[in-house]
Amino acid sequence: MAGNGIRIERLSKRYGEGDTAVFALKEVNMHVAPGEVVGLIGPSGSGKSTLLKCLGAVIEPTTGRMTLGDDVIYDDGWSVSDLRALRRDKIGFVFQAPYLIPFLNVTDNVALLPMLANVPNAEARRRALDLLGALDVRHRADAMPSQLSGGEQQRVAIARGLVNRPPVILADEPTAPLDSERAMAVIRILNEMARSFETAIIVVTHDEKIIPTFKRIYHIRDGVTHEEAGEGRAY
Amino acid sequence: MKRPILHRRALVLLAVVVPLAGLFGYVALRSGPLAPVAVTVAAVESRPLAPALFGIGTVEARYTYRIGPTSTGRLLRLAVQVGDRVIAGQVIGEMDPVDLDKRIAAQASTVNAAEAALREAQQRQSYASTQAGRYTRLYEARATSEENAATKRHELRIADAALTAAEEQLARARADREVLLAQRADLRLIAPVDGLVAERTADPGSTIVAGQAVVNVIDPGSYWINVRFDQVGAAGLAQDLPARVVLRSRGGQALQGRVLRVEPMADAVTEELLAKVVFQTMPEPLPAVGELAEVTVDMPALPATLVIPNAAIRRDHETTGVWQLMERGLRFAPVRLGAADLDGYVQVAAGLERGDQIVVYSEKALAAHHRVQVVEHIVGAPR
Amino acid sequence: MISLAGRDILHAWGKFVFTGVGLGLLIGVTLVMAGLYRGMVDDGKVLLDNSGADLWVVQQDTLGPYAESSSIHDDLYRTILAMPGVSQAANVTYLTMQVRKGASDVRAMVVGIAPGSPGVTPGWPAYLVAGRQITRDHYEAVADVATGFQLGDRLTIRRNQYTVVGLTRRMVSSSGDPMVFIALKDAQQAQFLKDNDAIWQERRRTAADPELNRPGAPDILGTVNALQVANPYVNAVLVTLKPGHSADVVADSIRRWKRLTVYTRDQMEQILVGKLIATSAKQIGMFLVILAIVSAAIVAFIIYSLTMDKIREIAVLKLIGTRNRTIAAMILQQAIALGVIGFVVGKISATFSSPVFPKYVLLIPRDSIAGFLAVLAICVLASLVAIRIALKVDPAQAIGG
Repeated sequence: MAGNGIRIERLSKRYGEGDTAVFALKEVNMHVAPGEVVGLIGPSGSGKSTLLKCLGAVIEPTTGRMTLGDDVIYDDGWSVSDLRALRRDKIGFVFQAPYLIPFLNVTDNVALLPMLANVPNAEARRRALDLLGALDVRHRADAMPSQLSGGEQQRVAIARGLVNRPPVILADEPTAPLDSERAMAVIRILNEMARSFETAIIVVTHDEKIIPTFKRIYHIRDGVTHEEAGEGRAY
Repeated sequence: MKRPILHRRALVLLAVVVPLAGLFGYVALRSGPLAPVAVTVAAVESRPLAPALFGIGTVEARYTYRIGPTSTGRLLRLAVQVGDRVIAGQVIGEMDPVDLDKRIAAQASTVNAAEAALREAQQRQSYASTQAGRYTRLYEARATSEENAATKRHELRIADAALTAAEEQLARARADREVLLAQRADLRLIAPVDGLVAERTADPGSTIVAGQAVVNVIDPGSYWINVRFDQVGAAGLAQDLPARVVLRSRGGQALQGRVLRVEPMADAVTEELLAKVVFQTMPEPLPAVGELAEVTVDMPALPATLVIPNAAIRRDHETTGVWQLMERGLRFAPVRLGAADLDGYVQVAAGLERGDQIVVYSEKALAAHHRVQVVEHIVGAPR
Repeated sequence: MISLAGRDILHAWGKFVFTGVGLGLLIGVTLVMAGLYRGMVDDGKVLLDNSGADLWVVQQDTLGPYAESSSIHDDLYRTILAMPGVSQAANVTYLTMQVRKGASDVRAMVVGIAPGSPGVTPGWPAYLVAGRQITRDHYEAVADVATGFQLGDRLTIRRNQYTVVGLTRRMVSSSGDPMVFIALKDAQQAQFLKDNDAIWQERRRTAADPELNRPGAPDILGTVNALQVANPYVNAVLVTLKPGHSADVVADSIRRWKRLTVYTRDQMEQILVGKLIATSAKQIGMFLVILAIVSAAIVAFIIYSLTMDKIREIAVLKLIGTRNRTIAAMILQQAIALGVIGFVVGKISATFSSPVFPKYVLLIPRDSIAGFLAVLAICVLASLVAIRIALKVDPAQAIGG
């Protein structure tokens, strides 16, 4: 199911035409194996968001190739037709803000994703509850998002990202609003989930608290990435 | 296994939605054309009926005597005012005799002259009679000629004739005088009966033409009420039926009376029957002539018979009938109706049985397919 | 799959119900407007139905007796009664005037009904809600409850007083004035007989005329005076037909032989609705259109703002892989739910507020159903705008930066 994680080769994204063309990404290469948690660091304007959008199958790159698990997603102009289904089934999102649906309770927020994939409601809720249990927020299963603390909301968001067992999870600044203890908790959870479900996790961050925990880090500047080994500190 | 979710929020929402839905259902079924029609029902019952007729009349005097001159003249004096009581033979006024008195005086002289002429003729006759006797005796004594005796007898006969002529002249002069006196008497206006002066239509000094009434005298004991009844529904109006009279100025006070007669001539223009109703006892004070009166004539009461209130009578296309309430719904029962009384009860001659439930009042016009709801009284109507 | 629309409504039910109620009141006003129009048409129909007539015979070349004044002699009905096919012919008079009770007065249409009996003579009130029909030839009245009169009240009409003996409902003129029924002769008097002062002046004028007041012929004056206060005219003759006879055929024969104008039921309806009510109907029609447009605009605005409130959630939903179809369905379902709540509130408020209006408001199921469909259609169309916006949302918005 996890396959080979996620792999990008020579990915470029150009905005505009001719003389006014801007290259947000230039020949980016990246590879994350199943079970791995890597960091993606870069200043604003570096093309970080664009890379994330390409990785998240939200926008299509101009050139390059992207493979998710065993499936080719993009290949030099060609792309999979149903990006939306891809996002639904293969990619998990964890945002800076939890972005929970305010009119669904915690269980349904998480169970929504399998339901969208036509999983029967009972089964979807069971999966959701399992994950919520794993993330230690099961006791809040019937509450509405507005009733949860920030940390609880974040954990629910992570559960939502994981519930469909996607091969890759994109986490965009997941620890930004959190203190160091909670931030470490999130990193811990991500790593556990990555190991348990053989998910490849890319964490976009500039949070100094967690950067040392990564074993591998991608730096991006001006649309170009280069890989670097991280500290791999314990958490 | 699905967990039953009992959200407080869901309960609150139900508390709003359920009454709303209920209200909507009520509105849909109970108002508008789908709603049942409210009606009141009554049973057809058997009770005696007292039919009556109602008419409007005016108080009139049975006899009105219009007193006036038989020839054109000027009114000299009038001795009565309106409202005065007069007795039969009373002089109530007089026309101006103009020259009639003088003509009577002249005629008196003529009578005197005729009397004088009669005396003269009597004298002559008696003298002639004496002479005729004397000469007859003389002739028998052969003291005079037969011619003289014949002449004196001849003169006697002439004197007899002259006496007769003078007597007749006198009679004629007297008769002429009677004529003038009668004419003079005729200038006096005499009340023909005991009564009340009702009108004075002229004042002394006015010129009155022959036949014009100067004074109207009425007999207050002869007041009656000239009543008009609509021909429709006046069946049964007959003489001697009891009547109750309410004078307009004395509303609320019902006076007893009876029908004196039903006029043989009806009013073809207004389509009314006319009748005369008299008071049992004349009310004191007297009503005014011309005052309006409401008269209710009581017809002979009918024994117990099936009656229905007239509010129940309806019309379905061309038939008259009532709406009968059956178990299955409404049914239009054609009826044949009989007499009615003034309180709105009508006799049922055919079409219904005693105890049948009929619709009396309804919210709107009924049709056979309507659903009905029996109520005590219709909303919007007073109790 | 759970119902997103349902969950959203449950979550923000207060806002929904509140908005629905507001919309409902607007819809209620629209329904009442339509009911007003139907009520006006019904007033006309009820007037024709309650008279119980199949034909109306009026003065030549007039649109009477309701749309125009008509005056015919009161003995004409006799010749009409003799025509083939005629079952009943009865005189009737109509006069709209102020009817006094004590110190107050009420505008009413005074109807003079020919002597006869209920159920037989046309013109008599078809049904009562209290009391009884007229039994005496004079001075009794049956009044409609809309006049506010009660049984036993003494009314003053012109110079006479009448006792209310019965009450009716929905007996109104075409302009909505309630009816008061009195005997024909009383009504004829009321129509033409002036007050005492005028009569006295008239008598004086007649007496001053040497042609009429001749000394040698004293009776002429009395006759002329009587003539002046007599009134042998009525406004129309109501005719009912024997079974099996066609209204058009009988009407035609009356027209041809009697040189009168005759209208059948359909023609009277056309006159009433087409001529009397036409202007008011147009006004109400315009109001309805305006209200419909305003309602549509408000519904569109409400749904638009409801959607805009959720724009971020919609972006997130799109990002995590929700179908466009699902998002569109959510918006559409909410719009329809709003419409349903609005309609329910509107129908209830219309039903309970319609008796309060001074004119008759008639709410018929057909209008309600049409209104319901119109509300749904408006909600669907209004939601299309919001759906278009929602579908254009870029899921990338959810990803910051």
